[in-house]
Amino acid sequence: MINQISFFKPDSVIQACEILARENNSLPVAGGTDLIVKIRNGMFPQTTAFVDLSSLPLRFIRETDGQIEIGSGCTMTEVIENPLVCKHFPTLTKAASTVGALQIRNLATIGGNSANSSPAGDTIPAMFALEASIKIRSKSGLRTVKIDQFFTGPGKNVLQRGEIIESFLLPKRETRGVFLKLGERKAHAISKINLALATWTESGKAKFRVAMGSVAPTVIRAPEVEKLLESSSQPFSDEVIAEAASLATKAARPISDVRSSQAYRKQMAGVLMKRAMNAF
Amino acid sequence: MNKPELIRISFKLNEKTVEAQVSPEMTVLEMLRRIFRLNAAKEGCGKGECGACTVLLNNQPINSCLKLAASLTCSDAILTVEGLENNALMKHVQQAFVDEGAVQCGFCIPGMALSSYHLLKTCQKPDAHQIKQALSGNICRCTGYMKIEAAVKKAADTRSK
Repeated sequence: MINQISFFKPDSVIQACEILARENNSLPVAGGTDLIVKIRNGMFPQTTAFVDLSSLPLRFIRETDGQIEIGSGCTMTEVIENPLVCKHFPTLTKAASTVGALQIRNLATIGGNSANSSPAGDTIPAMFALEASIKIRSKSGLRTVKIDQFFTGPGKNVLQRGEIIESFLLPKRETRGVFLKLGERKAHAISKINLALATWTESGKAKFRVAMGSVAPTVIRAPEVEKLLESSSQPFSDEVIAEAASLATKAARPISDVRSSQAYRKQMAGVLMKRAMNAF
Repeated sequence: MNKPELIRISFKLNEKTVEAQVSPEMTVLEMLRRIFRLNAAKEGCGKGECGACTVLLNNQPINSCLKLAASLTCSDAILTVEGLENNALMKHVQQAFVDEGAVQCGFCIPGMALSSYHLLKTCQKPDAHQIKQALSGNICRCTGYMKIEAAVKKAADTRSK
């Protein structure tokens, strides 16, 4: 049987939260690039309402006290083309530009990528490496969650019914970084594994953050690699690079699935780590 | 069975303001084909991988199979190949496809043509890499891309300023 489905087009974020809280089995739809496919595959048979987020005022990128705030409704293209993001967070620019193809990037939103919570979501490791926080809105207020506290499993996160991601807060720093992924082909592929590396200087010292996707139930950081890089002198010796690769392989605890095998992913964690360090 | 709720929408389609009543689950692609009988955009994979459903939304290529029609607003403008029938640049692109023999079965071509049109509209002289990038969201299962890429290059090289 097909449910009677309602369609809501709220014009404020609060109104969207209210509808989502009120309507049982309502689904927030942002870019729709993952969700529409899942809906058509019958993954949400209980759905009684769509709540369209695409007209909400969530398409902004701005500076606020020492942070850069990226509205959850920004499309990948809007993130890629934003000069503030490009200047401060090249890791994120690169990650966003590997999502899907242009047709997808013009629809898919930065908020949707995290809300969807795929372990393979390409902007998520970049957000980890840049120490982002997520601003979550509900009708009763606002809460902020650190990115590494947001995801609880594949497709799962801390969002409660009636809550939506309003924005991402990234500490404003001049960072350098890379994002690398392996997929079935160069363009338009879901990651078999991906890796984000960001580095910046804090009180005269080099800081490193490394995060990997598709190697665990959620995106993970590799703190052992970060410690090694922070305690080694630059330019890195071949020994340090080899050690970082081996630590990345150790940190990865992937599964085998339709896209790739456990053994391949584990080995590739080290390969991507090495490539990331050589990309500087 | 209950009759599905219909949502009234208004938006610009091929430069004319139009209205439609759509069901909540209807995609832009289904709306274009079923309600407006515009059949250039096609459903290939239905999951945003093949690009056969490419249309321009506010001058940006999108997969129309992944956008809910009900989410369109009066400030949105959709452009399909049909709307570019008399457009000089699009005609030029199409002629280049014909000249280079870039069309075989033709199923992917409306999407290919729109992606190429968008590239040439936004980039005066795309290099080979940019052409590949621009077409990376469009899959062709017949010609093997070389002729399509050659057609786009030809269109770029021979267009009048």
